[in-house]
Amino acid sequence: MTRALVQAVRALLAGAVALCLALHAAHAQPAQPPQPAHSTQAAEAAVRTPQRIVSLVPSLTETVCSLGACSRLVGTDRFANWPPSVLQLPKLGGLDDAQVESIVALRPDLVLAAPSARVVRRLRDLGLTVQVFASDSHADVRRSIDALAATLGDAAAGPRLWAAIERDLAAARDRVPPAWRGQRVYFEVSTTPHAAGTGSFIGQTLAGLGLANIVPPALGAFPQLSPEFIVRAQPDVVMAPRREISAMAARPGWAALQALGHDRHCGFDAAGYEMLVRPGPRLGEAAGLIADCLVALESRR
Amino acid sequence: MLQADQLTLQLGGRPVLRGIDCAFATGWTAIVGPNGAGKTSLMRVLAGLLPASKGEVRVGGQRLAALGSRERALRIAWLPQQAEVSDELTVREIVHLGRLPHLGLFTAPGPADEAAVDAAMAATECSAWAQRRLPELSGGERQRVLLARALATQAPILLLDEPTTHLDAPHQVALARLVRRLAQRQVVLTVLHDLPLALHADRVLVLRDGRIAGDGAPADPALQHALVRAFDGAVRIDTRGTHPLAVPALDD
Amino acid sequence: MALDLTVPATGATDHSRRRTLALGLAAAAALLLTAGLWVGSEGWAWPAEQAALIVGQIRAPRSLGALAVGALLGLAGALAQGLFRNPLADPFLIGTAAGASLAVVVVLAAGVLGASAATQWFGDIGLAAAAFSGALGGMLLTLLMARGAQHSLRLLLAGVVVGMVCGAVADLLVTLSPQAMRGRQFFMLGSTALLGWHQLALLGAGLALALPAAWRLSRGLDALALGEDTATSLGLPLARLRGALVLLLALATGLAVSQAGLVAFVGLVSPHLVRRFAPAPHGYTLLASAATGGVLLLGADVLARGLLAPLELPVGVLTALLGGGYLLWLLHRRAG
Repeated sequence: MTRALVQAVRALLAGAVALCLALHAAHAQPAQPPQPAHSTQAAEAAVRTPQRIVSLVPSLTETVCSLGACSRLVGTDRFANWPPSVLQLPKLGGLDDAQVESIVALRPDLVLAAPSARVVRRLRDLGLTVQVFASDSHADVRRSIDALAATLGDAAAGPRLWAAIERDLAAARDRVPPAWRGQRVYFEVSTTPHAAGTGSFIGQTLAGLGLANIVPPALGAFPQLSPEFIVRAQPDVVMAPRREISAMAARPGWAALQALGHDRHCGFDAAGYEMLVRPGPRLGEAAGLIADCLVALESRR
Repeated sequence: MLQADQLTLQLGGRPVLRGIDCAFATGWTAIVGPNGAGKTSLMRVLAGLLPASKGEVRVGGQRLAALGSRERALRIAWLPQQAEVSDELTVREIVHLGRLPHLGLFTAPGPADEAAVDAAMAATECSAWAQRRLPELSGGERQRVLLARALATQAPILLLDEPTTHLDAPHQVALARLVRRLAQRQVVLTVLHDLPLALHADRVLVLRDGRIAGDGAPADPALQHALVRAFDGAVRIDTRGTHPLAVPALDD
Repeated sequence: MALDLTVPATGATDHSRRRTLALGLAAAAALLLTAGLWVGSEGWAWPAEQAALIVGQIRAPRSLGALAVGALLGLAGALAQGLFRNPLADPFLIGTAAGASLAVVVVLAAGVLGASAATQWFGDIGLAAAAFSGALGGMLLTLLMARGAQHSLRLLLAGVVVGMVCGAVADLLVTLSPQAMRGRQFFMLGSTALLGWHQLALLGAGLALALPAAWRLSRGLDALALGEDTATSLGLPLARLRGALVLLLALATGLAVSQAGLVAFVGLVSPHLVRRFAPAPHGYTLLASAATGGVLLLGADVLARGLLAPLELPVGVLTALLGGGYLLWLLHRRAG
């Protein structure tokens, strides 16, 4: 009986493998949509402008809306929450556990994702157009804005938006009180603690405001620091979420941070902090939050 | 047909066998001796499971070490003292494994194999449980199944390490009779703690401290003396009956 | 030590039980495959639009892929338990899965896999090859630390240690190279969501290789069950047999883990279920474990998609809950 079973299994397997290979060859031209499965960014941009956009990256969602194409969004990831209108859109999971079928069912003609997300490959296999943008620096944000604007069919909107952002950045820099120029900042991005380094987009915003960073460039974008380093560096200003600031002095050894003792800290509320750590079109507004905080600190002195 | 040439074995720095020199022909040889004498080690070296530190084992004139593993298995069948038990295989499937030396991993069994399995199970009287599994059987019943497995190979040389463990008296006798029958055509070596039974063999090899302390027929007085000496006088041999009888020397 | 988890087949004959199990598994597979085509983002419904794309390109390969991955894991579990004569052996616990996922993190961290079209097929094979060597390395390390596989406790401890060490090294790599983090998370959860026809072809090829090879070596596993010395005395070339079995185990585990991540318990539970219902020599048990593993994972995948549609649960969480629950129940029965 085992022998018959084995023959059957072997036949089944051979048939299955043959079927798979045949289907793989056949499905090189999928039924939908008309764009070729693996095209370059330029070629994709040359096709008609996308009308149904799925964005799996919150900052790219914000960019699409800032470029005036919010109505063309048909789905976002679970973390997108600005502008408030996107909360109504179907949520499709995150970058790591994107719901492939839900995305395909929405019939998007453009999907926005981040580099090295495995779902990109799967979606492209299924014939969807996927554009991938890094968001590690101001330059990346500018590039993604320009490229998205071109894809959306209004190339001029990109530089326009970036100009507005730069205006906000400049205005924020002007608002920073002279006494605070060149002050050294510790910007916390996680309680581990991870700090925003000079090369990160947050670090670039700080530099744009004329502030210094206690993290030297050599340590990278978001290094995990030893608390000893932070205390010895004695930052002039500490920036973190509001609820972390209140808990910070309780951390072992952190009470030695003079900035905490002298009330020289910026505690941002949840919405504000989220804006600060998202490398998107609200970069200028985020810089403004920092400037506002420094103005308030100045007035309290 | 089975020959040991100056077998020396060191285990963990301790000498276990010191120059064993011996030849075994068709017939039943019982290997006896006190604990730690090296009986099981000798069996394992003869079976090819343990390489000797010095000296050689020869099978039919050929060096055992020169034989391939399957050739060796076709010539020598081995029954361990303590066997592991399979929960999933039926008795018949276990005995069937004894045909591995003939079939290898890939050949399908044929009628000759089935006949050998049937014969082995009949000889050990476990045909009735062909479809049962080892956990259901008693210790003695399991022992008979494992013996059947060794017999199924139909190898000319049989090495049985304590085959009478767990067997009750009637079955010990049945086994002794079976061994005697097999010994008419095969070389059968058994390690036995049971001295009375051992004295029914064709030849007794007495081992002590890794050396041969006695070697001869049970009726041979020299062998009997060697036996008593090897056990430090804990046994004596009663020769008044038709057959020498080993008796614990409790009265002395 | 043998955990006495088998039910002696008194009453029904062995052959009828084996036949029943085989038919049952075939029926379950057919049923679940059909269910797999029906369940998706809209719950239990055939898609109103784009049916060919959704059913043909997403649901079908995913369901078949779950079957294939489960079969590889079930086979790996049966191989491990037979090879190590330990009913608690599982690809998860003896270092193969941890090694495979570390290897994948290394490849991802090195940025070897771009998203360019030309490297896609090679990327698949490359990732699978990395996972394979990682699986082999992890298992060898475990065996080295445990100095063989005779003692269950030592083996399990060594497996846990190797798992932790591999995990720690992977953590370190992710800290230094954040682009590996995404890939890593995928692996920790275990997921069938990214299985398409490409991946299925690879999995099918692996199964086509592994199943016949395992079946041919099954008699050796039976002999091993009687003990190493007995197996040697029966003329088995133990070293070569073990080597072949270890390679096969690494192939099956590495391939499964490279495509679907760390799916828990399927490898452990499938052989147990087969042995409970239809004890048999390894020739049957290996194949039946593969089939059982396939059915289990496919069932978990269907549940993962259907329970809270359109939300998809991670399939590894479901298998851990179901498999872990079964083991707890089993232990409870033993104690009682």
